[in-house]
Amino acid sequence: MKSPFRAVFHRRSTPVERYLTLLIIGYAILVTSQNPRFFSLETVFDLVHEGAPTMILAVGVLLVLVSGGIDVSFPVVAITSAYMSIKLMWAFGLDTMAFMLPVSILFGTILGLINALLIHFLRLPTLIVTLGTMAVYRGLMAVLLGTSQYPVAQMPKSLAEFGLLDIVSVTRPEGVYGLSIFLPIVAAVMALTWFLLYHTMIGRSVFAMGSDPEAASRIGVNILRTRLFVYGYTGALAGLAGLIYYAAVQNVDPVALSGFELMVIAAVVIGGAKLTGGEGTILGTFLGVLLFQLFQTTLVQLGLASTWASFFFGAVLLASLAMIYIRQRRADQRNLVFRVG
Amino acid sequence: MSVPILEARNLSISFGGVDALVDVDLTINQGEIRCLVGENGSGKSTFVKIASGVYRQNAGTVAIDGVDMPSGDPGAAIAAGVQVVFQDLALFGGLSVAENIAFSYMLENRTRQVSMTKMSELAQQALDMMEVRLDLEAPVSNLSMANKQLVAIARALLLDARLIFMDEPTAALTRKEVNRLLEVVEGLKAKGISIVFISHKLDEVFRIADTITIFRDGHKVGDFEAGELTQSDLTFHMTGRRVEYPAYQRTPRDTDGVTPPVLEVRELADRGHFSDVSFAIRPGDVLGLTGLLGAGRTEIALSLFGLNAPSHGEVLLDGEPVHIRTPQDAVGRGIALVSENRQVEGLFMEQTIGHNISSTRLDTLVNRLGILNLHRERELAQSAVAQMGVNNRNIDTLVGRLSGGNAQKVVIGKWILTDPKLLILDSPTVGIDVGSKAEIYEKIQQLADDGMSILFISDEPEEIAANCNRIVVMYEGAIVNVVSEEERNQPNFVEVLSQMISEPTTRVEVDSAAQGGSQA
Amino acid sequence: MQAILDRFKGHGHVSVLAGANIVVLVLLAIGLGSSFFSMNNMQSMMTQVAEFGLLAVAMSLAMLTGGIDLSIVATAVLAGIVGAEFLTGKVVDLATTPAPVVMAMAVAAMLITGLLCGLFNGLLIAKASIPPILATLATSIFYTGVGTVMTGGASVPVKVKEFFKLGTVTVANIPMVFLITVIAFVVVGMMLRWTRTGRRIYLYGENAIALRFSGARHERLVILTYAIVGLICALAAMIMVSRTASARVGYGEAYLLQAILVVVLAGFDPFGGRGRVSGLALSLILLQLLSSAFTIMRFGPYMKVFIWGAMLLAVMLVTRIMAGFMERRERAHVAPPGSGGSPAVVEAVSA
Repeated sequence: MKSPFRAVFHRRSTPVERYLTLLIIGYAILVTSQNPRFFSLETVFDLVHEGAPTMILAVGVLLVLVSGGIDVSFPVVAITSAYMSIKLMWAFGLDTMAFMLPVSILFGTILGLINALLIHFLRLPTLIVTLGTMAVYRGLMAVLLGTSQYPVAQMPKSLAEFGLLDIVSVTRPEGVYGLSIFLPIVAAVMALTWFLLYHTMIGRSVFAMGSDPEAASRIGVNILRTRLFVYGYTGALAGLAGLIYYAAVQNVDPVALSGFELMVIAAVVIGGAKLTGGEGTILGTFLGVLLFQLFQTTLVQLGLASTWASFFFGAVLLASLAMIYIRQRRADQRNLVFRVG
Repeated sequence: MSVPILEARNLSISFGGVDALVDVDLTINQGEIRCLVGENGSGKSTFVKIASGVYRQNAGTVAIDGVDMPSGDPGAAIAAGVQVVFQDLALFGGLSVAENIAFSYMLENRTRQVSMTKMSELAQQALDMMEVRLDLEAPVSNLSMANKQLVAIARALLLDARLIFMDEPTAALTRKEVNRLLEVVEGLKAKGISIVFISHKLDEVFRIADTITIFRDGHKVGDFEAGELTQSDLTFHMTGRRVEYPAYQRTPRDTDGVTPPVLEVRELADRGHFSDVSFAIRPGDVLGLTGLLGAGRTEIALSLFGLNAPSHGEVLLDGEPVHIRTPQDAVGRGIALVSENRQVEGLFMEQTIGHNISSTRLDTLVNRLGILNLHRERELAQSAVAQMGVNNRNIDTLVGRLSGGNAQKVVIGKWILTDPKLLILDSPTVGIDVGSKAEIYEKIQQLADDGMSILFISDEPEEIAANCNRIVVMYEGAIVNVVSEEERNQPNFVEVLSQMISEPTTRVEVDSAAQGGSQA
Repeated sequence: MQAILDRFKGHGHVSVLAGANIVVLVLLAIGLGSSFFSMNNMQSMMTQVAEFGLLAVAMSLAMLTGGIDLSIVATAVLAGIVGAEFLTGKVVDLATTPAPVVMAMAVAAMLITGLLCGLFNGLLIAKASIPPILATLATSIFYTGVGTVMTGGASVPVKVKEFFKLGTVTVANIPMVFLITVIAFVVVGMMLRWTRTGRRIYLYGENAIALRFSGARHERLVILTYAIVGLICALAAMIMVSRTASARVGYGEAYLLQAILVVVLAGFDPFGGRGRVSGLALSLILLQLLSSAFTIMRFGPYMKVFIWGAMLLAVMLVTRIMAGFMERRERAHVAPPGSGGSPAVVEAVSA
């Protein structure tokens, strides 16, 4: 007897995934009971459009957490790469996504690779290294490229149009709602990452390194190469997310997303990724981001001001953490495992 | 005669001017089971690390199949079919059994794309060679130690290993599991694979080895056919002397018949770890608690020290029932624990000797505001260092710079400062040189002579027999044998005791034990 | 020789920092002269360093235990908001209550809020075994959330004039807020050096398991440490509110990165167990000198961000190289890494 979940995902669902699913369903029912309009395609389309950059960033963060690290520089990498690609586009006069997208992704990858090298050779907590690079990237970009904002009227036309591009649209009395082009992009990112993580040797090496770096290197996993992959790939995703973010908000702000890193990490942690590495699922990450996005955009429909978002999100995060770690604490007590912290 | 699979000639290596291995020749033939024995630091692990390319030797050569190997190249050794199953196994708890087994193989073959089906096939193939069955999808963290060991061996087999080094593979296994492992090893031998087995459990060595190679102080003492050695010969070759530690004799001091024992444990049980454990320790007793690893010895120590709440039973101190819930309770009631894992549980390696020693006494070194009397602290530390005979008397030295023996003296010293009624020593001489060992024994016996009660946990029959006046033998969480003082004083007692430990299910009578021999 | 190296390990960083301070001071004297050393500039530097210094010392305590506190700024902001609710007249009627009473209530409210925030962090870390970085990440979001809900995201103005005078009062030309910070540093420094709790904080950071096996109440120690951290954050909140005459969510977000920077720069080991308050003071002074100099030289805010980040990386790089150098030195004497299984070898060397 296979559960439907197992049939689709070829694995058992994790406790965190189950609890998040219940929470989200419960929340959806609650909001619908207050405001029936919540239960509609528009809501879904909205979530996709707003949540796409977060989801892409979150996938990168997941990879870093699984590898046993933590990265706080990715929002800066995202913005820096996207801003750089826009500046370059103007320099060359090529107003097309076909130019900006690869350039932004390339820059993101380079910045990510720099992170990887520093982390590898400094042998210090990844949090502190990436705090440093975050400051350097941000400062350097502002000093070299300036900090001018470009509202929708001044931003690259192709980018602005890209943000409004829909693949499907529905017409309602109030107006036309479209399903953004972001959906296939996010889906592709998730599918690609899933494939890389679960079906390639480099992806499996990420899990191995995350669960025990010492053991991994002893059986022949190339730690430097694995780190380059993790942070390079995360950088590439950040480069992509940066442009999508600009397109989504229809405004090019070179210091946007500051402070966003902790929110994304929180969303991924809610989804069950462990800081100690080796654990975490894409589905869990998706659910974490979904919850974050729901709190961001739909609290209003509950009659609550959007100022409640951090409160609820923080509370759910605390509950998630307590659930995960008290379980581990009990197991440790049973098995007489003594851990630091 | 065919070419030997491994031939080492004149191997030497030194670290910082100290010789760790001197001019060692060693030949291992195909399909042979070789045991390397020797005390800690005798050079056997160093040999393994050179042979597998982890270390680069200063002199000498290692040839596999008659071909000289490059020095310090693990990849070349692996390619030649040399595999090491390290003591910590290097497995990934979160990954499945199949993946753990197939991982190295796929790395080695530069597989890029991973298919779960292919992995399962590979893993099954390796497990079939060993004729064992495991759930391929289960995460390795759920397996028992013994099954983890099998996974590590399967991983080595999949890499076409023809020579497998196993570093203390049985240390954490129960007897039944050891038997299964030894069967697997013999099966591999039948397939022409050579096994080098490092163990300090001499009964296993005798049972499985074709040839035994003994190391001492970086030198090879010699190769011996397993049949031509006795246990005491082996011990002699390992230590370089006939070990004759003075046997501890307790001076009775509670002859009035009303003094209750210092510690009495009644039907103590902890689900999954031990059950129905009862014993008593009187003043001046050194009670030996022995048994295989995983017999429940350490778990009992942790329970008495407030780190493992028992589920059933009673603990009495000086005749009073007590509940010890935390280490603070234990220390407050005069219990001290020198725990098993010195580096992790006993020492602050980057702190000074002084700060390590005072760590158990901070509460008595402060005034009412919680301010430390640093002068008094130094005095205390000095006295402990002098009392324990730590070779480095400068209490400002970082503990990380001390040898194992001296570091252990610091640990014992910090507990003696608390003037405990009951001192629990869990494997106190693991990784300690012979000299420090003798000094530590002497100290323990002196403490007991002064009236301290001591619970001495160890799996080495020699040290238990020498230091304990009464002995409790455990197996799979239960007491299987209790040895009285008279029995302990029998002449062939060490052999009797090692048999009690390794053959816990057969009732050993002291008289009949002279025949020795082990039947699996 | 070994003893000298050991001593250097403990104090070397502090002397390097002191040297760097002197060099910077001399350079500033040459380059900027009296404009830099004017009373005005000195006072403004002292005021600026005051609240940030408190946050840094809070962070350093968390790092000494091998943890980290990402919620220091959120705690300070929340404490500030709770206090400001009193000072803005929302909780008590300003017309009828005398100002000193309101101020006392506000300060008490801030301290209690900070203490509670810290206690909660400590409980999550000690009793639920959540890694400090995650526990405080979650609480930083949560505390910010509470603050946002309380204020609706708006700024809470202080209406008791006497309170924001606190930010400008000087004693013998030294700003009072600076004195508060100095006292806090001295107290924390003395606690770490001379009290049982301080010693245990170092031991815990070095090896939490060994401390537990020594019979110390390790969980209580963690809770106590984070409670102290929260209390210090509340002190910072007091200065913050008096200086800006208001409290709002989002204030001082950049402090978090800077606090980590300054603590790492001061030679605190992010893995715990090592670091001195004297080093932290020097590292703070150095940063403040540079920061003021940059302001005088009209560097933009992003230039500063860049320089801080580059300094953090550079310090880590230098520390890494120095550690590598030490390791090589030691390896020449002792054994290579991974040869732990040969105690006889080590024995012979240390004897």
